Amino acid sequence: MLPTSSSPLIATEHLIKRFGQKTAVNDVSFEVRAGEIFGFLGPNGAGKTTTIKMIVGLLQPSAGMVRVAGYDVQSQPLQAKAASGYVPDTPNLYPKLTGRELLRFVGDLYEVDPVQVGRRSEELLKLFDLDQAGDDPIDSYSHGMQQKTALAAALIHDPKVLVLDEPTVGLDPRSARLIKDMLRQMAERGAAVFLSTHILEIAERMCDRIGIINKGELIAVGSMDELRSLGKGETSLEDIFLSLTGGTEYAEVADVLR
Amino acid sequence: MTETSISLSQPNPALWRYVWKLLRLRGVILISEFRRAKLRRKIGMIFLGLLAIAGLVFAFVLSWLLLRFMRSPELAQFMGNTQPLLESMPTLVISAAFAAILITSFAVLLQALYLAGDMEFLLSAPVPIRAIFITKLLQATLPNFSLILLFGLPVLYGLGASGGYNILYYPLVLIVLALVALATAGLSSLLVMAVVRIFPARRVAEVLGFVVAILSFTCSQSGQFARYANVSQDQATQMLNLATRFNTPWSPLTWAGRGLVDIGEGRWPSGAGLVLLTIVITSGVFALSLATAERLYYSGWASVQISTGKKASARRNGAVQPRVAIAAPLRRLLPADVRGLIAKDWLMLRRDLRNMSQLITPLILGAVYALMLIRSGGQAPAGRGEAPAVFMEIMQNVMVYGNVAISLFVSWSLLSRLAALGFSLEGKNYWMVKIAPISIARLLGAKYLAAFLPTLALGWVFLVIISLVQRASPGTLIFGMLVVLLTIAGTAGLNLAFGVIGANFNWEDPRRVTQGGIGCLGALASFLFLGISLLLFFGPAVLLKMLGGPAAAGEFAGLALGGIVCLIGGFVPLWLVRGRVRCLGED
Repeated sequence: MLPTSSSPLIATEHLIKRFGQKTAVNDVSFEVRAGEIFGFLGPNGAGKTTTIKMIVGLLQPSAGMVRVAGYDVQSQPLQAKAASGYVPDTPNLYPKLTGRELLRFVGDLYEVDPVQVGRRSEELLKLFDLDQAGDDPIDSYSHGMQQKTALAAALIHDPKVLVLDEPTVGLDPRSARLIKDMLRQMAERGAAVFLSTHILEIAERMCDRIGIINKGELIAVGSMDELRSLGKGETSLEDIFLSLTGGTEYAEVADVLR
Repeated sequence: MTETSISLSQPNPALWRYVWKLLRLRGVILISEFRRAKLRRKIGMIFLGLLAIAGLVFAFVLSWLLLRFMRSPELAQFMGNTQPLLESMPTLVISAAFAAILITSFAVLLQALYLAGDMEFLLSAPVPIRAIFITKLLQATLPNFSLILLFGLPVLYGLGASGGYNILYYPLVLIVLALVALATAGLSSLLVMAVVRIFPARRVAEVLGFVVAILSFTCSQSGQFARYANVSQDQATQMLNLATRFNTPWSPLTWAGRGLVDIGEGRWPSGAGLVLLTIVITSGVFALSLATAERLYYSGWASVQISTGKKASARRNGAVQPRVAIAAPLRRLLPADVRGLIAKDWLMLRRDLRNMSQLITPLILGAVYALMLIRSGGQAPAGRGEAPAVFMEIMQNVMVYGNVAISLFVSWSLLSRLAALGFSLEGKNYWMVKIAPISIARLLGAKYLAAFLPTLALGWVFLVIISLVQRASPGTLIFGMLVVLLTIAGTAGLNLAFGVIGANFNWEDPRRVTQGGIGCLGALASFLFLGISLLLFFGPAVLLKMLGGPAAAGEFAGLALGGIVCLIGGFVPLWLVRGRVRCLGED
């Protein structure tokens, strides 16, 4: 791994988010360093997306702190946002803009030099195989194309921190592989990649460290080896995940049904 | 024979059981929607239902009145022999039914086949494909058919009763109308598929909505220009004779109409022949179009779009730079993020026809009122001449600024969309703006300018055109332009602030962006603000004029007074809501 730095590019400290009486995220603290791909796992409704939304500045935490590239997302939101890129699980993009126009718009929002935006847009569109559809309105794109456009938009300003919520959902194997390779390249160039996924195989193969959240609480963080040591002798991430999140009883039910 | 063709061509004995099942399913969904709706929505739905019933009663009464009019001696005096007109009534009603069902079922079928999203679910269910299509066609036909019956039956049955028609005439009228409706819906389904093969379904729906909205609004407003009292006898005769032109011998719709009249009047051979021909043709068209529609849909023909030359040539030419209508001076003045947001907002407004239909209505209103003002010659309406002289003098002095008032009314209507919905129109895409490093001041500034600049341009264009036609003095024009500038500046700020408070990002169709009570309050507040501003701008000038003083001094005083209030109105509300912008989109 080439450029690494000791200072974390993402850091959460005692992060809490409450929606009325319900605590969606409870006292979550972790760090993601430069050059690292961090996988964020958890069952449905565990608080993954809420945590991600607080990292990228979409949701205000009820308590605690989020730092992105060393900037406090609450008190220095502009600097923190300028350093990060985000790809949501559902890519809601302006339907009447074309792919090229969307990239140009995002470039303007991040105040990237127009010439650079033009050059980078073409590179990204070509990379994601969208150059032919670049002048079509986004509402004519398939889900996978929209997902790739959202990723291109997140990369247009070359962020130090990339946050992705279920990035491979709806993508064909070729595009999924492309994204995995690109995330690895970004990490090798010194960026911090934070991704949530339900595909444990991706997390196991791609991520340097993994965090598991359950019922709003971070129950395990570490490398695969460190997670294995937490479990009861399980070797695969799936077994560790089910053991930690209490999913093994479902496997037993499935056995009975069989 | 392939498996597909077998399933399509073999008659299924349980077909109508499935059709009934699917229709019942639709009914269950409607009832369930009503049961689960909030009380406010339930009351609204009941009110709409009552309104629809009132509309139907109105249609029924209107049809009776029309028939009475057709038989009135005054009309006979006007037109001479009304018999050809009366005999062409069945053809007229059938032609109207054909046209109305073709147009309305096009929109309903577009929704039902392509946009409702239930076709895949239904086609994958163990239900004959024909049952699905019949249900969709019935769904598209039934509501319009009931309306046509309500309009047409009183006329056709009244014609039969007054002409002493044979008893067979009455059930045949129903049968013929029903078959024409079904055949038309079948043709309409093919038309929908052919159009969607060329253009995306969503785009077709947008264009259709836009055209219907503009046409209906234009028609409703153009009535204000009509001078029915001035219609001459010749014009009336020509207009009524138009009805007989539908009676062309080559049209199958005429055969249906003539057949019914012949049956009614006891001309059995020709009547039976024409009615039988009608039944065969309509049943044939319905069956054929149903089978073709099923095949086209199931084979995928109707879902695969053919590429258009325009798109291909655009691709051949390589990257197309987005055309953003921001003038060069603005480009230099504004930061890139503000510029980007404005350009994006304008592109979205321009391209989404669902927005355009709402943006164009103020233009039509403005054009209508401007023409009315020009036609009146800028004079206050005299009325019955009972108003006090002082009042008439005030009115006359105020009318001098009528052009400004109309321009501002048009601008206010536009602002209620552009500024008040400036944030809401972002919809579910707002996350892109929220994660971007753009400050609240710049975000508000961008939204403000995106609403203010086009509204100002529109207000000025209206003002200049009306002033030129009215030959207003350059001084009055400049005064008017400043008033428009300042008032729009104030109203835009106020509208945008209310838009921030009532922002709603959770919608699918931009025409249905609602802001609830806050939206109504905002519209009221901005209209009140508009009234107060105009009073402050024009009050001193009108007062000085009436006292015999120089109008220019009054205009200067008005500009100072109104200007200060407008600048406060443009800035203070936005300053008050700045904290709320930070939390937008977190619900």
